[in-house]
Amino acid sequence: MAKIECDLNINGISKKVTIHEDKPLIYVLRDEFGLTGTKLGCGLEQCGSCAILIDGKKKLSCNILAKEYQKSEIITIEGLKTDNYLNIVQDAFKKYNAAQCGYCTSGIIITLTSVFNKNSNPTKDEINSSLEGHLCRCGSHKSIFQAIESIKNELA
Amino acid sequence: MNTVNTGPSIKSYKKLNLWFNFDKSNVLQIYSGKVDIGQHISSTLALICSQITGVNYNQIEIIKLDTDISPDEGITASSLSVAVSGTAIKAASFTLRKEFYNYAINNYNILEDNILFENGVIKDKLSNKSVTYWDFATTNEFKELEISDNLIDSELTEYINKNTQSIEIKTIHDIVTGHYKYVHDMNFPNMLHARIVRPPNYHSKFVKINESFIQILNQNNVKLFIKGSFIALLSIEEFLVVKYLDIIKKQIIWKDVKDLSNENIFISLSNNQKNSLLVKAGGEAHQEKIPNIKDFNDSKTFSLSSEYKKSYLMHAPIGPSAACAFFEENLTVFSHSQALFALKKSLSTYFDIDKDRVTLKHVPGSGCYGHNGADDVAFEAAVLSKEFPKNHILLKWTREDEHCWEPYGSASINKIKGVIDSQGKIIYWSNEAYADTYLSRPSESELFNFISFKFLTNDFAEKKSTPKTSAHMGIHRNLDPLYDFQETRLVKNLVHNLPLRTSALRTLGAFANVTATECFINELASLKNIDPFEIRINHLNDDRAIDVLQMLQSDMNKKTKEIDFHRGIGFARYKNSAAYCAVGVELKINDDLEIKLNNAWITVDAGEIAFEGGIKAQVEGGFIQAASWALYEEVRFDTKEIISKDWDTYKIIGFDNIPDINTNIIDQKGLPYLGVGEAVAGPTGAAISNALHEALGERIKTMPFTKENITKELLN
Repeated sequence: MAKIECDLNINGISKKVTIHEDKPLIYVLRDEFGLTGTKLGCGLEQCGSCAILIDGKKKLSCNILAKEYQKSEIITIEGLKTDNYLNIVQDAFKKYNAAQCGYCTSGIIITLTSVFNKNSNPTKDEINSSLEGHLCRCGSHKSIFQAIESIKNELA
Repeated sequence: MNTVNTGPSIKSYKKLNLWFNFDKSNVLQIYSGKVDIGQHISSTLALICSQITGVNYNQIEIIKLDTDISPDEGITASSLSVAVSGTAIKAASFTLRKEFYNYAINNYNILEDNILFENGVIKDKLSNKSVTYWDFATTNEFKELEISDNLIDSELTEYINKNTQSIEIKTIHDIVTGHYKYVHDMNFPNMLHARIVRPPNYHSKFVKINESFIQILNQNNVKLFIKGSFIALLSIEEFLVVKYLDIIKKQIIWKDVKDLSNENIFISLSNNQKNSLLVKAGGEAHQEKIPNIKDFNDSKTFSLSSEYKKSYLMHAPIGPSAACAFFEENLTVFSHSQALFALKKSLSTYFDIDKDRVTLKHVPGSGCYGHNGADDVAFEAAVLSKEFPKNHILLKWTREDEHCWEPYGSASINKIKGVIDSQGKIIYWSNEAYADTYLSRPSESELFNFISFKFLTNDFAEKKSTPKTSAHMGIHRNLDPLYDFQETRLVKNLVHNLPLRTSALRTLGAFANVTATECFINELASLKNIDPFEIRINHLNDDRAIDVLQMLQSDMNKKTKEIDFHRGIGFARYKNSAAYCAVGVELKINDDLEIKLNNAWITVDAGEIAFEGGIKAQVEGGFIQAASWALYEEVRFDTKEIISKDWDTYKIIGFDNIPDINTNIIDQKGLPYLGVGEAVAGPTGAAISNALHEALGERIKTMPFTKENITKELLN
């Protein structure tokens, strides 16, 4: 398949890259932008580790074509900080040591960022529903829930 | 005078500078032979060192395991990281602190009473002279120092400052910002990305490939490597390897040397050829005559028999295994294996090169406890790097590779018979465990344990496992209960010719054995209407075990059980020598036979608390993994292939079924660290099973407790 020029805006920086037309976004993020914080877990949209924000909404990046998001604002885990300050979800995860191996963490932080951007006081069901499709094998769930509670308290 | 046991590592690595490095300004670097797999061992070791040496926790770094410079402390497994490496670092830190004081006093003429000690710096209150660990480390005296075998407990206690329990784990900042680097993220100039072209199953031999497709690969800058039945694709661009991997599978013809078995696995476990060994008190297995199961026909005793079954389980890390290798004159492999020193020896044997020419470096991978695909992928990357000596090779397994090709935790059966007398005393206990091996890690003499070895050599002959006999090893881990039963008969059965590849999965046989033991003790208790706590405590002679159970009971009683919710408990001391752990679970089951976990209580005694956050992460994470095993997990296969290829076909627990977990840790100050990483799993399986029994009024004896298994057993 032919290569095309693709103009992508990632973490506030626009860059033109020449890529295979059928290249999924995750490989472009990792290869062309060096943003390896987005993790490939399954390539099947089943585990959530490749989640990123596209125009503010959580999207799994393992099976979508990069060329289709040229007019979008794409944010990865590396782009959540502003002026060197962690965002509220990153900060809470850090405070509660809410990770073990950390492979699933960036996807979960991305999803929770999209949740709290829309709603400062999500219900437990809303949180669980947003985390459906995110898998954590180390069993960090409790510390993640503690981090979530602390965010809710901070935003209340 | 009590002395501290310095543990096994110090015996082999006595010199202090084999554990500490002060080359970086104001940074104390620690060499450890254990790898951080998410269990927070780096943070725990740094904290132990900080509390004894007085160096700020943030100034302490753990050097990732590198076989050229790190001490060989064995495999990072069996809940021994803190017990072994933590104890070694404790002893090394103590010697460092003590000798640093002596050095300052003797060489700087500082009187002990005038010492002001802060953050690793000794100052003379009077003269303002100061000396640091970094000064001390430049001396010949430091270089010659050996760690004392004879640490005085009271002196050590005096040194330890435990005011810094609340710490940020070493990895967390990089994890939350996306900068924590895994093997998967490595990048070198001219690096080739690789994937293995897997055959349909373990027994498939390569026949031929469509020749015209090789041209297509060449035109697209994708390299094809074939040796025997081992086939790989490589390219500078990762995406191209992934893309052509899907396509090439249709271009290859394989011949199955044999099929996977289609017999019910539990029938195979009972009927296949096996090695049967008698397990004695203390947990060792012996090749000797196994007594028959006793019959009790008197009217004053009550006998019962049960069979508990567990399916094949997989490690299933979220990120598939990966490794990076480079082989020019020497071989360097970057790997997330838990057995890097063993891997070094295996690779030097395979390539027939001196061990000094092989270096293994730890780079983090995705969380997983046990022998997953990490060693296999490291071997495969090394094989490819030999063929492409100018390029680093970054080989990643696919999701399907990880699900279908990793060595699983064996399916198993426990056949138990027990007899309880009219006083409620268990007077006879027979437990026969049936499973495949839990110990097939590769070694110099067992290179065939690398999954690709058979495909490289086209040697498809079956390799028979031999039963391991050491205490609590493999199938018979925790088969010997901690309880004081009048007479026990314990049998380990290593079953052969089973269909799936197996090896070490977190707890080895202990998950099945403890679950079965703790369910059956409830069954016996119910014959005499004895409370589950009471029957356990009545059969224990170990105060620490009793304390853990009583604390669990007290914690559970603080919360009133709601209508429609049901409770169960489980207890064990892991390997009868590591941490004590008791678990309580509260759950409900709906009309569709779905189990919802509501509350969980965990009490644990892991000796002296090294790092509370680390213990909590291990027991709560272990609880969640074991709950997932008990409720959902089962590797499925047919005659041709493994069907559990992804997360839809192998379900694990999600965020929607995590109970409120209340963890209570007993701090045994001054006592040895006890391994805690696996202690919770067996009690969790039992607690869930016992709560489910209360809910249904029937005992479900096959895990996982899915609607399918529950229905089948209720109908029977």
